[in-house]
Amino acid sequence: MKSKEKLLEIDSLYLNYGSIKAVKGISLYLKKNEIVTLVGANGAGKSSLLKGIMNIEKTKGDILFKNNKINNLATEKIVNKGISIIPEGHLIFSSMTVWENLQLGVYQGNKDKDITLEEIYNYFPILEKRKEQKAGTLSGGEQQMLSIGRALLSGPELLLVDEPSLGLAPQIVQDIFTILKKLNKDGFTILLAEQNVKKSLEIADRAYVLKTGEIVREGKANDMLAESNFMDLYLN
Amino acid sequence: MEIVLAQIVNGFSLGSIYVLLVTGFNLMLLVARIIQFAYPQFVVLSMYASWAVLESTNNIFLAALAAIISSIILNLLSEPIFRRINNRENVDINASFVASMGLSMIIVEIMSHSINNGFPVSFPDYWGGKNLFSFGYINLGRGEFYALTGGIILVAIFFYLLYHTHYGRVFRAIAESRKTAKQVGLAVLKSSILSYLVAGILGGIIAILFSMLLGSASPWLGESVALKVLAVSITAGLGNLKGGLYVGLSLGILESLAVGFLAGSWANVIAFVLMLIVVLTKPEGLFGAAIE
Repeated sequence: MKSKEKLLEIDSLYLNYGSIKAVKGISLYLKKNEIVTLVGANGAGKSSLLKGIMNIEKTKGDILFKNNKINNLATEKIVNKGISIIPEGHLIFSSMTVWENLQLGVYQGNKDKDITLEEIYNYFPILEKRKEQKAGTLSGGEQQMLSIGRALLSGPELLLVDEPSLGLAPQIVQDIFTILKKLNKDGFTILLAEQNVKKSLEIADRAYVLKTGEIVREGKANDMLAESNFMDLYLN
Repeated sequence: MEIVLAQIVNGFSLGSIYVLLVTGFNLMLLVARIIQFAYPQFVVLSMYASWAVLESTNNIFLAALAAIISSIILNLLSEPIFRRINNRENVDINASFVASMGLSMIIVEIMSHSINNGFPVSFPDYWGGKNLFSFGYINLGRGEFYALTGGIILVAIFFYLLYHTHYGRVFRAIAESRKTAKQVGLAVLKSSILSYLVAGILGGIIAILFSMLLGSASPWLGESVALKVLAVSITAGLGNLKGGLYVGLSLGILESLAVGFLAGSWANVIAFVLMLIVVLTKPEGLFGAAIE
């Protein structure tokens, strides 16, 4: 049974890049153990919203995590509170080994976390095989797994996942989405920003459709998936 | 042959000081993202601090402590200045270079007007001047011995910490990509401030070893050393820690050999000739630049 407790609540959030308004008064929420996806075309404001939540970019408006305002906290403090981001473009530290990249996550975040390196190796056995290898020598999919592994090791309750399928082969994309679903089953709440609308609606509970920085529709992911003209209405 | 050997021994001692200086300089470049031209000036000012304590107390321990504390304070005091500069939008790393040159000039003026009436200061023999070992032309002074062994130990400790501790890994992550480090929520600001502290401790120990090696300090020492440190870093590849190690040590040896065989102060030109050749033929530096 999924709990009704709201984990994240965003109220009238604005984010500007100079004169460009990337996020225009967005309000949304996530309940514990949900997968919520943000769908929308390129430039709709999905990534900006995730960056705003992590305070990588400055925002106006309210962001509440477990009923506490987190707007002005430094990104590392937000990680300590229990939110981790898996940034777009499988960002890893390529000159460092796989193990060293994972260790960066181990020392980050909540001190009471109970996730271990062994559990990460269970999710991604390939990372254990490659642990001594420089991260820059991994394939795109493996780098994405490493990026997820590092984020998990900081012990988050909420994972923000930014365009995980970007630049990956279809089979790898399928693997990544399967893992996200598994993570959700294991108790992680996920906010997913993704251009691959079908794939993300398939694994999500609810979805918000973004267009030029605003929410134009929200609802159950299944309902949207069932609408034959959904893509034409909102995403073209 | 003996002369050459003697000069090489001297060169290793001088080279290990260059290695330490360029390591501190590169650390600030990589983690705090500044070109800290004033870093060697802080070292020289800390040499003065230990000299002043030696003059008044004759206590070696207190004098060493004074150098380290002075260097930590100077480095930490400069942090808010550089942070303010770096926080401005559309400011590149050269802004910190210009600011640190200004800081460097102020320190030179302070030293040349307010300390010992601007005259160079000499350290007493018991600080590092005694001879430890003589064989023909080869004389190994205590200062040379300490500079050499201290340099090797310190570099070994520094690299150990960099590769085997959490903060070392965070330093390397920030050095590789500040942007990624920020995005994944590594403590970039805290690590940057920590790098000033580490550079401060390192600078204090350099001040002790350098004053033991030279036996004196002057207001103009820092400037010539700062130019050489910059030349070493550019020659090796800006921010390349391992490259700095090889080029710093080689420069020490080349300069010492040049002192033995060339007239006047030609030795001081070597660093810049090397830099010019490298800039013209391999602009990324001999070992490749390590900053984005």
